[in-house]
Amino acid sequence: MNYGLKLDSRLIFLLVFIVVAIPLVYDSSIKPAKMETANVTYQELEKLAENQKNGKPALVLIAADLAPSTQSENEPQTSVLIEHLLRRRIPFGLISLIPFATPYLEQMPQEIVTKLAQETGETWEYGKDWVNFGYRPGSTIMIQKFAKSKDLHEFFKTDAQAIPMKKLEIMKGIKTIQDIPALIELTGTVGVFNVWLQFFRSDQHVPTLIHGCTAITIPEAYNYFITNQISGLLEGVAGAAWYEELLSEVYPARKPGHALKIMTALSIGNILIIVLIGIGNLQELWNYWKNKRTRNF
Amino acid sequence: MNYTLFTLSWFETILAGISVLAIYSFLYRENKFYRLFEHLFIGISTAIVTIEPIKTFFWQTTLKPLLGLDRLAFPDGTYVADYDFNYLLFLIPIFFGSLYYSILVPKYSWLAQITIGFLLGISGGMAFNATMVEVTPQIIDSFRPLYINLPEQSARENLINSLNNIFFLIVLFSTSCYFFFTFKRKPNGVVEKISTSGRWLMMGCFGAFFGTTIMARLALLIERLQFMVDHWWVAVMALF
Repeated sequence: MNYGLKLDSRLIFLLVFIVVAIPLVYDSSIKPAKMETANVTYQELEKLAENQKNGKPALVLIAADLAPSTQSENEPQTSVLIEHLLRRRIPFGLISLIPFATPYLEQMPQEIVTKLAQETGETWEYGKDWVNFGYRPGSTIMIQKFAKSKDLHEFFKTDAQAIPMKKLEIMKGIKTIQDIPALIELTGTVGVFNVWLQFFRSDQHVPTLIHGCTAITIPEAYNYFITNQISGLLEGVAGAAWYEELLSEVYPARKPGHALKIMTALSIGNILIIVLIGIGNLQELWNYWKNKRTRNF
Repeated sequence: MNYTLFTLSWFETILAGISVLAIYSFLYRENKFYRLFEHLFIGISTAIVTIEPIKTFFWQTTLKPLLGLDRLAFPDGTYVADYDFNYLLFLIPIFFGSLYYSILVPKYSWLAQITIGFLLGISGGMAFNATMVEVTPQIIDSFRPLYINLPEQSARENLINSLNNIFFLIVLFSTSCYFFFTFKRKPNGVVEKISTSGRWLMMGCFGAFFGTTIMARLALLIERLQFMVDHWWVAVMALF
């Protein structure tokens, strides 16, 4: 009666596939779990919006270091944070150390702006509300040069579309790292977050750091959060789903994004895996107990 | 989302869906369909990683100014500014970096060691600086009060935070003990017992890592399934 151990792994794959597909096909979602780290991140962005009212030119930098392998988690995180920045009219610039991120840097803000325009009737403009610095190779060397640059116009020269910096309204008054109050870094790739943390700073100024990580890197990222090395953290797709919930509370007309859908399917998939682990362990215990009894006789 | 037949976005979506099916077909068994798309993926990834730095960095910031191609020209063909000969200095680091490729010629492979040595020196220096910036705040944070009695917090919060810090210290101490190999440990000795408890605590940590890894892998599957349901299936149905 060793059913658990003889189960074909393909049957488990099929079971997982069916279970996670159900909420996607029926377009259903459940309320996500409250994430304290996402709450803190939300408040940090609200603080930036308040500081923006002081009138000093400032640009939030989003290092969207995502790739197809981390897209499922980093993309919803980037989307909700961009949406929040756009709604609060906080200018931001997108940059990446990962060459595969190039299409995301172009598409994501455009898609969100279209969605927001339909909802609010307001308009947002490239070059005024956001800028795409594109993929920048060089990792550590690039970040160090960026942080120490006395003239960011000279450092970047052009945006990703080869538009000179001086022609972009958003870049007026942005000269050094001191004009960048916050860095939002989103990645799941090993070693990428660390180089931003280590080198994106100057002697006079250390920008507020917000990090969006994948589920795998949560235990590692949490070290930085509890030691206040980062001021905000989005923990995988769960963090993005709760952030969506926070946005939906403040903006009731908002259409739900896909972080909530992914989270719903993920929750059901996790329950299935817990059940399967439970069954497997019970099966092992049963075998152990049965063998022990047979040996005694 | 609606798709118009035989447009670029329709072809992109159909091809992306076929690629997803090909890669997931491995879950059933090893097959040629999977291998074909795996090789395509490797080829495309390598091409992107090679071309993007050349296109966005080497060409834009190095080759174009070096060749004088970034100068603005008047309609009569004359240039706004003269060629800046300082750009010829770029040839020095280009030559120095290119020595790395001498590793491919056995007779001159020793030249590559100069470049490698230079890079190792730079990396070592930066790693030292980086580690200090990254790890020092974590070491400082490890010195936590074991008894908290803050007036702005309730008695319950103070108690929970105190217990949290005590537990943190136990974990830190026992885990550090596990990696302490300076002297011989006595079997069933105090240090051995503490290090064993450190091993168990680390096992708990690895369990958390395993759980979050499952979450991340499932999220990858769900995102692709969402694409198949919301986009690919719609594009396929546009055929009928």
